[in-house]
Amino acid sequence: MASDIIMPQMGESVAEGTIVRWLKQVGDTVERDEPIFEITTDKVDAEIPAPVSGVILSISVVAGQTVEVGTVVGRMGAAGEATGQSVAAVAVAVAQPTPGASSAVVTPAAPLALSKPRSEMTAAELRQTRSTPVVRKIAEEHGISLRDVSGTGSDARVTKKDIEAFIASGQHSAVAAPPPVAVTASAAAKAPAGRVDLGVPVGVPRVAVTAGAADRVEGMTPMRRTISDRMIQSKHYSAHVHTCFEVDYGRVDALRRKYKDQYAERGTKLTFTAFLARATVDALRAFPIVNSSHDGESVTFRGDINLGIAVALDWGLLVPVVKQADEKSLLGLSKSINDLGDRARKKKLVPDDLAGLTFCITNPGIFGCQWGTPIIPQPTVAILGVGTIEKRVKVITHPDGSDSIGIKLCGYLTLGFDHRVIDGAVADQFMGHVKKSLESFDESGM
Amino acid sequence: MSTMQGSDVFDVVVIGSGPGGYVAAIKAGQLGLKTALVERDTRFGGTCLLRGCIPTKALLESAEIIDHAREAHEFGIKIEGTPSVDLTGVHKRKDKVVAQNAGGVAFLLKKNKVQTFAGHGRIAGPGAVTVTGADGAVKHLTTRNVILATGSAPRILPHLPVDGVRVLTSDELLELREMPRHLLVLGAGAVGVEFASVYASFGCKVTVVELMDRLVPVEDDEVSAEFEKIFRRRGIEVLTSTKLAAVQVSADGVTARLEREGKEPFSLTASHLLVAVGRRPVTEDCGLDTTNIVADRGFIAVDGFQRTTQAGVYAIGDIVAGKPQLAHAASNEAIVAVEHLAGLDPPPILWDQCPGCTYSQPEIGSVGLTEREARRRGYKVKTGKFPFSAIGKAKIMNNTAGFVKFVVDEACHDQILGVHIIGPRATDLIAEAGPLLRNEFTLEELARTIHAHPTLSEAVVEAAHATLGHAIHL
Repeated sequence: MASDIIMPQMGESVAEGTIVRWLKQVGDTVERDEPIFEITTDKVDAEIPAPVSGVILSISVVAGQTVEVGTVVGRMGAAGEATGQSVAAVAVAVAQPTPGASSAVVTPAAPLALSKPRSEMTAAELRQTRSTPVVRKIAEEHGISLRDVSGTGSDARVTKKDIEAFIASGQHSAVAAPPPVAVTASAAAKAPAGRVDLGVPVGVPRVAVTAGAADRVEGMTPMRRTISDRMIQSKHYSAHVHTCFEVDYGRVDALRRKYKDQYAERGTKLTFTAFLARATVDALRAFPIVNSSHDGESVTFRGDINLGIAVALDWGLLVPVVKQADEKSLLGLSKSINDLGDRARKKKLVPDDLAGLTFCITNPGIFGCQWGTPIIPQPTVAILGVGTIEKRVKVITHPDGSDSIGIKLCGYLTLGFDHRVIDGAVADQFMGHVKKSLESFDESGM
Repeated sequence: MSTMQGSDVFDVVVIGSGPGGYVAAIKAGQLGLKTALVERDTRFGGTCLLRGCIPTKALLESAEIIDHAREAHEFGIKIEGTPSVDLTGVHKRKDKVVAQNAGGVAFLLKKNKVQTFAGHGRIAGPGAVTVTGADGAVKHLTTRNVILATGSAPRILPHLPVDGVRVLTSDELLELREMPRHLLVLGAGAVGVEFASVYASFGCKVTVVELMDRLVPVEDDEVSAEFEKIFRRRGIEVLTSTKLAAVQVSADGVTARLEREGKEPFSLTASHLLVAVGRRPVTEDCGLDTTNIVADRGFIAVDGFQRTTQAGVYAIGDIVAGKPQLAHAASNEAIVAVEHLAGLDPPPILWDQCPGCTYSQPEIGSVGLTEREARRRGYKVKTGKFPFSAIGKAKIMNNTAGFVKFVVDEACHDQILGVHIIGPRATDLIAEAGPLLRNEFTLEELARTIHAHPTLSEAVVEAAHATLGHAIHL
């Protein structure tokens, strides 16, 4: 006699739960009270035990789905017992909106093949499960389903190179079962000292998209996928707050005009970005918390200031890093920034150029943006957004106390910061420092 | 050899019939390609079959037999009189083994419908190969592809004139019908130490001179050290970090002037000198001048499919730049080249997993990274060893010197990076290690694999246990 597996009530006010992952698959034999799936609700996270001993006959709610308490998520019974419903039929059923369930209808986060018994897999699917001993251990360590990794070894066997590339590409985060944030933080706490590991990134249910006849569907490039994963991960992981300051670029502009030929002779173009980098580095030195990382348990203050400069590309976005920017002169910063930007556009960056970021500057101002609210690149805790620099009408107070209307070269700077570690007061003092450095830029540093 | 049938265009012409060339031709035949094989020697098989692997191993087998005969009394076997080497008989057997193998190659070529051409093959422009017979007659072949498999010859040093009487390369020593009184071997690579081993077993005095600081320098450091220990115990004189500066040849021997860093030069007189300092590619007269291929000291650069810079021309075997000069390397390259030109998409050869074997007494078999190389590449290296002295079967064989050593990546689940075996049947035992590397095994799977008792292979599984830190029999 088959029995239903239901989403249990995990507290009085809990109305629904999300299945994080199935610990058992269709066909697995389980003992009563043996954990068979993990759930997360807005109150608790728990492993749900089997209601009876027997075999998992079907799984109708796959990992990543949110359903009402009391919903049948699968069936158990004796081995060989009919489920009454094929897995395929169940899969179709879950694609329909369930009345009363979360308004966002989600597609399964994991491929349906996950819930298929081996006997029902196609040859291609079976081949995808071929791997090597070391790969299986790496997969287990990272919680990766090998069916998500394409294999290049013999008979499409997943090799160590394949799984390493899979992890490096960030695809891992896209297909991993979504653990609650709390789990992520504790996983990070287990990471070796000196290295902040975000662990399994926050999984986000995908929104079903229906493509019409006039639409065009395009797969994601690895770069797009990485950006996608990292942005959503950061939005969920950090407590984003933004603060905005207006800066008078009059002095910087004067210095830039005065020295730009000299810099050109020394082989580099003197840009506003170099001044911004200099001012940022000085402020980071004054406020080390802004140049730190946070894993939910402790704060790691970075010894070096490795300044990332976001570079917009036709095909995406890269953040090459000026290493030890605090040890560089304005000329050195200028050269490094121009060189990295250049190489980013020519696809000549090496992996090391992108490594070690401790703080990032992004400049949407070059496209005319007044001020933006940038997302913090993990595992850093803040990001500086630069708005467009333009002439603005300002009230100028003269030494004699009289006021007049004048023209100033101005722009907004935004700091996106992680309120878990940086309080508003610190963020604003940091920004005040940057503003002051720019408005009274020290000419001796030219 | 047959003559050309019809005048059709060949899919591929293979020049050279060594373990690269003949395998390429057979593979091409099997894939249904119209295939020609050009060989200037009277027999197929190249260096491996005629002057290398096969005849030298035949000599080593004779050497092993006399070693056994000498120790037979320890096994309770009484042999009347003193066992001695009949050099004529040794060569007769060697020649017989070679002839059998060469005959086997001819049969396989015929079976796979490979057309063979006797003569010197040269590329003669795009799609053209000429074959110059012993009589000077030239045949012209038209082909879509050419595989160069022209092999190598012993490298000769200018200050050591090979006369074939007193100063020899492996080619001449293999045919030497007198027993050297004292064999001086220059070069302690596989060729040098194998001949040293043969003649030491045959009862000659043997001295090995090596410029590097250790014997078999491509092997793991610990293997080299063990090898030297065993060689010395066998009475072979070992002079490492030693340079052979000059040699004087007389009617009855050679006098070598040897130099060692920080020491006075000294002289050593021997009956014969074997120059075993590597092999040079034979590419000077295969028509490269009609292609855009630029050889580097004779070696030809290729890509992962064995393609040269000249479209339609592949190179395999000892002539390929930067790859091991080994028969099995050539054969594997042959298959990749043929599969590629047939339009298939062969997987690349994993060169880190190419085994190397030395068939001397002691034998060495190794595959994968040495401890030194693994450290150089930044792995978190863990190693473990197990000696044959603790293996029952080795004691039964009265051959207990040597060990099995594992090099693993401790940072990645003890993945096996290298296996190094020195000792009895090492060249056969190493076969187990190839699939371990190919399939990315970790120590755990190996350690839990049942190995039969009593066998030498127990040393392999015990070494895995030892690397994990819990060998049973030690």
